[in-house]
Amino acid sequence: MDSSPEIIRILIIGAGRGGKALLELFACGQGVQVVGVADINPQAPGLALARNLGIPTSKDAVFLINQGHTDLIVDVTGDPSMAALIAKHKPPKTEILGGISALLVWKLAQYERDLRDQLIQAEKLASIGTMASGIAHEINNPLFGITGLSERLEHETRPEVVKEYVADIMEMGRRIAAIVKDLNVYAHKNSAETRCDIDVNHIIEEAMKMARRACVLDEVKVQTDFSVLPPIRGNPDELLQVFVNLVTNAVQAMEGQGTLVLTTNSVNGSIRATVKDSGPGIAPHLLGKVFDPFFTTKEQGKGTGLGLHIVRDIVIRSGGRVKADSTPGMGACFTVELPVTSA
Amino acid sequence: MTWGLHTKDTPGMGRVLIVDDEDIVRKVLRVMLTEAGYDVVEAEHGGKGIEKIGSDDNPLMVDVIICDIRMPKINGIEAIAFFRQQYPSVPILVLTGFPDTVMAADLMSKGVYDYLVKPIDRDKLLASIKGAMAQRLSLSDKN
Repeated sequence: MDSSPEIIRILIIGAGRGGKALLELFACGQGVQVVGVADINPQAPGLALARNLGIPTSKDAVFLINQGHTDLIVDVTGDPSMAALIAKHKPPKTEILGGISALLVWKLAQYERDLRDQLIQAEKLASIGTMASGIAHEINNPLFGITGLSERLEHETRPEVVKEYVADIMEMGRRIAAIVKDLNVYAHKNSAETRCDIDVNHIIEEAMKMARRACVLDEVKVQTDFSVLPPIRGNPDELLQVFVNLVTNAVQAMEGQGTLVLTTNSVNGSIRATVKDSGPGIAPHLLGKVFDPFFTTKEQGKGTGLGLHIVRDIVIRSGGRVKADSTPGMGACFTVELPVTSA
Repeated sequence: MTWGLHTKDTPGMGRVLIVDDEDIVRKVLRVMLTEAGYDVVEAEHGGKGIEKIGSDDNPLMVDVIICDIRMPKINGIEAIAFFRQQYPSVPILVLTGFPDTVMAADLMSKGVYDYLVKPIDRDKLLASIKGAMAQRLSLSDKN
């Protein structure tokens, strides 16, 4: 057996649903690199995603094949004439995955995608568990107001006092309703295919509201520097989860005390958002691992180790990228870049 | 008179310091306690509570403290540690929005008189305060 390449360089032919699903899978995976995506249809969804990820695209499969540096060509077109064309032009050492074999890989990719969707939802629900303390506190305070004043109202005869207590009770009821509404929005399982125009600044503000339930922010100084942003195309629920996870992570890293800096700006057709904390930072040898699944430095029971992994997964699916920077002792900064015209 | 001491000679049912950051919680407690005959002092967080109980030029006679846990600035845990150290004869009732059995056991082992969870009904709250007040009187009798 000859030595297998450390990184398998893959060329995807066909950028419809199948090609896009494979691209998402390979882009998140380790040890594989997508070196090009071809489709004769310029509107194929996989082409837009590839461009956002900085992967060369073309309508001409042969052009990309001739660029060389490909270990494997994955042909998901199902078109016999394409299979013949690839066989004719491919370099001798390049292997081909086509026909039924490619279909099988596509089906596996779809299955994997379903699992990832479930994982995202499961992690979101798990994070609501960690919010239980904050939610209980937020609801039980106004609830105490309602029950306490109602008890008193039974014996109250002064009209002005009755009026005052009723107004208080209504206000407390509205507060609880708003909390429940926020939670419903967050816990709601939306189709990963849902795409709409999103104002990232608004998403970050909503994320701060949710994060206040997951961790105590009272002693955290929050600084924001938001620029006016063009809308991006994406899934608002998933993006909310990205920023809830990043903010929660930052506050937990600071153990509830320090400065949290949130910034957004628009750069070269992308929007860039940063979440910076003043915690202990991340050791250089751990920096490359923070997005790995089940990686956590928190004590057992405090973190699933999935939060940042899901951040990266969602960002890559949106055609963006995320990176972590840190100088130990000087805090950590997570930067999310998302294309304005997202896939 | 000894600082902060409610005695049988002091008028009224006794004085309660309420430490909670929520206006509505302080309001309900104020309504319930004043109606039951207690004098009430309020603080909107642990720091204010410490400030009010320790104010030299206005030595308050605080007999019982009702303290929330999750508060800005100085939280309940820190405030309670201070109260227990500085004013060990003043019973403390924790009134929190989130029941946490581990925290409850820990606080009780540190001398907290009772651990109550919102929303608590009036009778249960008043019964607990009555018990705390009795403990306060028995401690002050020994002094």
